[in-house]
Amino acid sequence: MYNLVMKDLKLGINPWFLAMPFLIGALMFIPGWIYLLVLQYFFWISVPNIFGQFKAQNDLMLTMTLPVSRKDKVKPRIIVIVILELLHIFVAMIFSLFTIRLYPNVDYFFFAPYMGFWGICFVMLAIFNIIFIPMYYKTAYKYGAALIASVVATLLFSGVVQWLGIQNNFVFDTFNGSGADDTTLQLFILLAGITIFAVFTIVAYNIAIKRFEKVDI
Amino acid sequence: MGFIGANGAGKTTTIKSILNMIHLDRGEIHILGKNMAEHELELKQDIGVAVGGMNFYTRSKIKTLTNTIKKFYKNWDEATYRNCLRKFKLDENKRIIELSEGMKIKYSLSLALSHGAKLLILDEPTSGLDPVARDNLLDIFQDLVVDGEISILFSTHITSDLEKCADFITFIENGQIIQSMEKEDFKESYRLLNGNESQLHQVKEKLISYKTNSFGFTGLIHFSNYDPSANIKATVPTLEEILIFFAKKEDMYV
Repeated sequence: MYNLVMKDLKLGINPWFLAMPFLIGALMFIPGWIYLLVLQYFFWISVPNIFGQFKAQNDLMLTMTLPVSRKDKVKPRIIVIVILELLHIFVAMIFSLFTIRLYPNVDYFFFAPYMGFWGICFVMLAIFNIIFIPMYYKTAYKYGAALIASVVATLLFSGVVQWLGIQNNFVFDTFNGSGADDTTLQLFILLAGITIFAVFTIVAYNIAIKRFEKVDI
Repeated sequence: MGFIGANGAGKTTTIKSILNMIHLDRGEIHILGKNMAEHELELKQDIGVAVGGMNFYTRSKIKTLTNTIKKFYKNWDEATYRNCLRKFKLDENKRIIELSEGMKIKYSLSLALSHGAKLLILDEPTSGLDPVARDNLLDIFQDLVVDGEISILFSTHITSDLEKCADFITFIENGQIIQSMEKEDFKESYRLLNGNESQLHQVKEKLISYKTNSFGFTGLIHFSNYDPSANIKATVPTLEEILIFFAKKEDMYV
């Protein structure tokens, strides 16, 4: 499995996409921006390019000839997706620490980049994974429909959540107001987000294995 | 073993089934005496494959691709690999796309031999090669099988390649095995008849298929149905003739 992860990272994925988290993460420096969009750039730029490369390079053909069981071909690919997602979110998190220090007096209309906000980001990634991964593994090479469905779903989610964050006093308070100073609450939201991310990704993995078993190449 | 059949007869489908790339409707696959479904990983260590040429990661260098692929094989032998590169004059700094079709096959062979494959499964390795490259490749195949350690299953529709180097022939048509036996026995089991129109009427029912022209007819017949006393000119057919007349039989029933 480790070999397949390395195969994707060294051969399948252009190193440029490992640098992208730093460029995309730098969007966190825009003061008071809609930070939910930062991770969307990963869905919009990196995912279609990476999966387009897999398709164009006929990655599936190479993978199928290698002495690895079908089941074990799915896990490494998902691990690679998760590695990239975590890379994006961690880099953005680190950059946000600077943002908070750089602009201490900004009034946040949208979500401020505190821990609770990252919890929401993890849920967004979870939604992306549970839609994109199982749909992709219907064929293991067509990614278009899966990408559209998952991006629409994450956009709807972030739209609704952000709207609540502006319109609803309780939600606003939790993420931007007095709740932002409550470290326990913020940590709880973050951990809840991480848990949802883990559960959704594992479910996606299990569906993907079942679907990939049936694929004729 | 040569694996022949017309386009669409099911050669690639068979090979894909062997490699567990597609699902079987029925039946079992046994390789080197083991059931493929149960021992897939173990068997794939012992199989070298080239399906549809080297058509993946064509923009990558040989070096990069090899470094990735070799990690998957327990018995990878770097010395053998270096030898193969030298013997086949492969430059590992070249990209796959820069290799000629013949070189791509040689690269696939190098990979297969370096992980100690006992069975090479090659899907149309000689298609698209010029006669010199084909002859060269066939010589390599013969060198490989000569000490009996390595077997090659290769599919092709270029029957002259098999005339040169196959020991066994499996002939498929429409997904069915028509014959699978030693090459000479295979050819001997058919006769190609040449005669005039009146002779055609005598044997018409027994022929697998036939063609008529202004001089008479040419037709393929099973040796068992062939009656030497009929005084029709008969020759042992080439593989190509067998392939063509079987394909024609299909057309006649459509």
